[in-house]
Amino acid sequence: MEEEKKNNNIYQKELFERLKKSAGLKKEEECIGCLIKPAAWWLIEKPNPKMQDLKQLVSCTCPHHKKFPPAKKNKCLKDIYTAIEKAGQTKALARFNCIEGLHGFIYPITQGDKLYGYIGSCYKKKDAAPQILDVFSSFTDTVVREIQKELELSKLYETIRPRAIALSTVHTVHRLISSTLDLSELLPRIARLSLQVMRANRCSIKLVDSRHMILLPKATVDLRKTSVRLKKVRVGKHAPGRAFKYGRPIRGQDFLAVPLIDEDVIGVITIYDKVDRKPFTSFDQEIMSTMAEQAVIAIKNAQLYKEQEKLMIGSIKTLAKVLDTRAPGTYVPKASFLKVALAMGQEIHLDADSMKSLEYASILHDAGEIVVPYEVLTKPEKLTGKEYEIVKGHPEAGVELIKHMKALKTVAPIILYHHEHYDGSGYPKGLKKEQIPIGARIMAVVSAFEAMITKRPYRNIKKIDEAIDEIKSNAGTQFDPKVVDVFLKVIKRKDVRGALEKEIYG
Amino acid sequence: MGKVDIFESPIHLKIIRFFHENQASIDTPRGVATWIGEERAKVSACLEDLVKAKILVAHRATSTNGYSYTQNEKIISRIDKLLNQK
Repeated sequence: MEEEKKNNNIYQKELFERLKKSAGLKKEEECIGCLIKPAAWWLIEKPNPKMQDLKQLVSCTCPHHKKFPPAKKNKCLKDIYTAIEKAGQTKALARFNCIEGLHGFIYPITQGDKLYGYIGSCYKKKDAAPQILDVFSSFTDTVVREIQKELELSKLYETIRPRAIALSTVHTVHRLISSTLDLSELLPRIARLSLQVMRANRCSIKLVDSRHMILLPKATVDLRKTSVRLKKVRVGKHAPGRAFKYGRPIRGQDFLAVPLIDEDVIGVITIYDKVDRKPFTSFDQEIMSTMAEQAVIAIKNAQLYKEQEKLMIGSIKTLAKVLDTRAPGTYVPKASFLKVALAMGQEIHLDADSMKSLEYASILHDAGEIVVPYEVLTKPEKLTGKEYEIVKGHPEAGVELIKHMKALKTVAPIILYHHEHYDGSGYPKGLKKEQIPIGARIMAVVSAFEAMITKRPYRNIKKIDEAIDEIKSNAGTQFDPKVVDVFLKVIKRKDVRGALEKEIYG
Repeated sequence: MGKVDIFESPIHLKIIRFFHENQASIDTPRGVATWIGEERAKVSACLEDLVKAKILVAHRATSTNGYSYTQNEKIISRIDKLLNQK
């Protein structure tokens, strides 16, 4: 009620400010003024003015009023006051007669049933036609409506703009957090965006370990510190634990914990310490709850994606194990070679999808050898021309094997072309240089290196350094020289070399 | 572009004023361009200038970039003074 009264006063003040500046009203006063010869114009800014207000207004504007003796002055003011009361009650123009032989009128400024004030005048022309005053009334109404429309529009703009900006923020946050399916990237991003929206210093996201009824810290961002301590919280303890337990936000002066609710509560996002040191409000809680709703969808999507990925890699490894039963040690790649391939991919700055394809191809690149007869696959002697032709068919057979797995579509080119040579002398297509996909060029080096230093029926095992030399000597012919450079850089790394030696030599 | 240029350029100034008045806002170049009534391409370049000047923070994603106001109180206070002088 108090708020409404305050807003009404602001509106009234603004309305009269604009009326005073209105060019339309000035023009009207000039035009009508020519016809009725006014002594004064008044803008009465109150619906119920007091006699004192009127006295001040009239004495300031009427040239005759000052000269009146007190009794005349009072009579004059009383007549005007009566006209104001009449205009206010009837919401129509009210005339009055001035004792000095002048005439006057009062016209109410209204909007619907609401009365805001009056516009009035006293004038010389005795017989001002009623039509002139009708024109005045209509034109005044038009000017007032125009100003009222402007005010409503500006009020609407002031109300809607902040909400539209807030909505746009929510939409942008949604786009930003939906653009990643990597949980390790997603959670810090949600934390940083929450801090930005809340204008706070610290945000912590904890996800539940349901078996142990504990909330595990997954991402904490503190704008005041470079490193933060990640704390586990028991369900029911502290603000995050209570928000989780009761499934509703817990708000204090300097913290706000909001549960992440999917079907069940999956975690809690907690914001601490506003930058301006003010307490968290119910509006903050509302905004944070919206953020949490978006966050939970993104987190669940990322978790599902991770699960799907695990399932995929599990299926690929199972497939490799099944194939490996034919010739043990042939299909299941050693972890250290996967490490070499992925380190090379990182060094070349492959994007996330290409890295994933390289990982899958590292496991499956020789899966097509399933079409090679067991005797050929395990033959210790040199292969005949016909046998070699069968072996050369394994990349295409590998692609055939995975062609129904849509998720492996990007893996197929690596498998198909990993026996192509940089100089065009490889198989199956005889592609050259950059015609060979980069993944396949990496795989060519890694699979050749693997074949040299692990047990194969058809060749003696080489030492790691001997194999490296052979790779080096084939740079520019069999292998892409740039890829070989990357390989040489990666293989020098202590972690990579250590993993290789441990796996090969035990 | 130096700070002096940023405070002399009308578009930079409009962006700064927008974020100063809406400090909790995070928006894309398209969104900011709409709020301040300027061309998106020009706004994109100005947003990057303001990130370099540490007035804005960029939240980069594959689909879009989001921009938000700095949380550094000293910078905010300096901007407040500069905007009041304008």
